[in-house]
Amino acid sequence: MNRRIFFFTFTLLVLTASLLGACLPTGKPSSPLATQPAPAVTPTQIALVDGLGRTVRMEAPAKRVVSLAPSNTEILFALGAGSQVVGRDDFSDYPTEAKKLPSVGGSMSKYDLEAIANLKPDLVLAAGINTPDQVKALENLGLTVYYLPNPSDFNGLFNNILAVARLVGRDQAGEELKASLETRVAKVQAQVARSQERPLVYYELDGSDPTKPWTAGPQSFIDLIIRTAGGRNVGADLSSAWAQISQEELVKADPDFILLGDGAYGVTPESVAKRPGWENLKAVKDGHVMLVDDNLFSRPTPRNVDALEMLAKWLHPDLIQ
Amino acid sequence: MKVQPYLVASALLVAALMLSVAVGSVYIPPGTLVRILVGERDLPVAFTTIVLELRLPRTALVALVGAALAGSGAAYQGLFRNPLADPYLIGVASGAGLGAVLALSVRWPYTLAGLMAVPLAAFIAALLTVVVVVSLARSGRALPAANLILAGVAVGAFATALTSFLMLRSQGDLRRALVWLLGGATLSGWLYFLAALPYVGLGLVTLVFSGHPLNVLQFGDEQAQQLGLPVARVRMVVIAAASLATAAAVAFSGVIGFLGLIVPHLIRLVWGGDYRRLVPLSILMGAAFLLAADVLARVVLAPQELPVGVVTALAGAPFFLWILRRSRKQEYW
Repeated sequence: MNRRIFFFTFTLLVLTASLLGACLPTGKPSSPLATQPAPAVTPTQIALVDGLGRTVRMEAPAKRVVSLAPSNTEILFALGAGSQVVGRDDFSDYPTEAKKLPSVGGSMSKYDLEAIANLKPDLVLAAGINTPDQVKALENLGLTVYYLPNPSDFNGLFNNILAVARLVGRDQAGEELKASLETRVAKVQAQVARSQERPLVYYELDGSDPTKPWTAGPQSFIDLIIRTAGGRNVGADLSSAWAQISQEELVKADPDFILLGDGAYGVTPESVAKRPGWENLKAVKDGHVMLVDDNLFSRPTPRNVDALEMLAKWLHPDLIQ
Repeated sequence: MKVQPYLVASALLVAALMLSVAVGSVYIPPGTLVRILVGERDLPVAFTTIVLELRLPRTALVALVGAALAGSGAAYQGLFRNPLADPYLIGVASGAGLGAVLALSVRWPYTLAGLMAVPLAAFIAALLTVVVVVSLARSGRALPAANLILAGVAVGAFATALTSFLMLRSQGDLRRALVWLLGGATLSGWLYFLAALPYVGLGLVTLVFSGHPLNVLQFGDEQAQQLGLPVARVRMVVIAAASLATAAAVAFSGVIGFLGLIVPHLIRLVWGGDYRRLVPLSILMGAAFLLAADVLARVVLAPQELPVGVVTALAGAPFFLWILRRSRKQEYW
C-alpha cells in the first residue's frame, strides 16, 4: 500500500511538473509600453499593446466604453470622454457625473457579465485590480478589452493616459493633459530639491487594528508620491507594497507627519491621538496629523498630481508658494 | 407519503436548471429565451451572448459543483461515520487554496495555459494534500477514521497557515488569489465546465456504486471486516473518488461551505439513510440546491453578486434547522 501511495504521489508530481513546464512563458514577456504601436495599421485603425502583453485592435475609436475601475473612469472623464462612457464599476464615484452611469458590479471583485454584455460596449477598459481570468471571460464574450496596468511611476501614469486617449480618439486631449501634469510634477521636484530636509511620513491605509495598521510599502504609488514630495516613507523598508507595520516599529521610527487615508472608516486625528502609545509621537504632538482623501493617493489617476502638490506644500511650506 | 424520491429530486433539479437559465441581472423575455435556446440566431446579439456564453455554462458548472460537493459529503459522512464530516474535512479545500496561491506567485503569461495554471495547481495540490493525509493516517494495513480526521484537520490547518503567510509575503498578484479564494474565477464559456467534468464524473460514478460497501461500513470496521468487506481498500477508493470530485469542484469554483454537510442530512431526514439511495439523491439535490443558491446570489443585490457560499449558509442553515425540528424521529443518524 505504501508503495502504491508513493507511486500515486510520484505520478502527480510528474504531472505537476509537466504542466508547469507546459505553462512556462513561451511568447515575449508582457510589455508595459502601452503606447507602443503595433505594425501595419491604417490611419483610422487603432492597435495598442496592453498591460497583459495583448495587442488590442479597433477599427475606430471607442464610442461605448465600460470602465471596470474608478481610476479608468477618472482618466476617461479627465480626457473629456465622459459622454463615451456607458457603464462603470461600483467604486467609480469621481467625477460625480460618473455616478449617474449604470454600474456593472465590481464589489468583492465580482462583475456582472450579463450587465456588461447588455450595454453592448465597443471597449471594456480593465485595470490592475482586474485579473487575467476576468479579461479572458470578457474576451470570450466577443468584447474588446484593454487592460491598463498599475503604473509604478509618473511616466507609467502618463502612458496610461495616452493609451486611453488613443482608444477613445482623443489624442490631442491626452497630449495636453500629459504635458500639464508633467509640468506640475517637474515644478514640485524642482521646488523640493532646494532643501535637504526629508521629513518622515507615515501613510495609514487602514488602522482598524491600531496595533498593526496597514501602510504603503516600497514600490507603491503612495511611496513614490511621498518621495517626490520631498519626504521619506516610514514603510519604505517593508516587504510588500501593501503591508502591516507593527506599532512598536512605528513608535521607534517616530514619524514627523501622519497622513490618514482611512477617514472613511471613522479614523480622525483625534482618535489617532487617543490610541495608547501614540500620544508621544512627534507628529501627534506637533499636530501634524491630517485626514486625506485616499482616492487621490491610491488610484492611479491625474489626481495623483493634486495629492503630490498638496503633500509637498504640507511637508515644505516654506519652499512651495 | 409514498412519493418516488428520484422523481422528486429530478423534478427539483429540472426546476432549478430552468430557473438558473431564466433568471439573471438582465431581463430576457421568456419568448426570446426559448427562441435562443431552440437555436434561433436572428435575435439581439447581447441576448444570445448572455444566454449561450454566460448563463448556460454557468448553470452547468454550478450544477456540477453542487453535485460533487453533496455527493462527496454523503460519502465522507458514511465513510467516517461522522455526521459532521464534509468534503473539506481531510484537507481538500486548504490544499486547493495553497496550490492556487502558489501558482499565483508566478506571473503567468496571458495564454490559455497561463489562465488554467491556477485551477490546475489548486486541483493537484488538493489531491496531494489528501495523499499526504491518508499516508499519515495509515496504521499498518488499517486506515482508522479517527486518524484520518485528526490528520486531515492538522494538515489542513498547516496548509491554511502557509497560504496566509504566502499571501502576506506576496509581492505579486494578491488580488487574483483573493478573488479565487472568495469564490473562483469569473466565469464565461464552457472551458471550466469541460475541464472539471471528467474528474467530477469519474468520482461521482464511483461513489454511486459504493452505496452498498458504505452501508456495510456503518456496522463498524471490525464487523464490516468480518462480513467480508475489505475496509481499508473501500476507504481508499471512496476517499480517492470523493476527493477527486471535490478537488475538481473547488479548483473551478472556489470554496463553498455547508452544502456538502446539509444536503445529505436533509435527504437522510426525509428519505432515510440507505447509502445506495443517499449518494445519488445527494448528487441530484446538491445540484438543485446550489443552483437555487446561485440564482439568489445573482439577484439579491444585483448588479452586485454575493459569493454563493454566503447564500448557501444564510439560506441553508435555517432551512436545515427547520427540517431538523420538524422531523419526528428523536435521533435520525
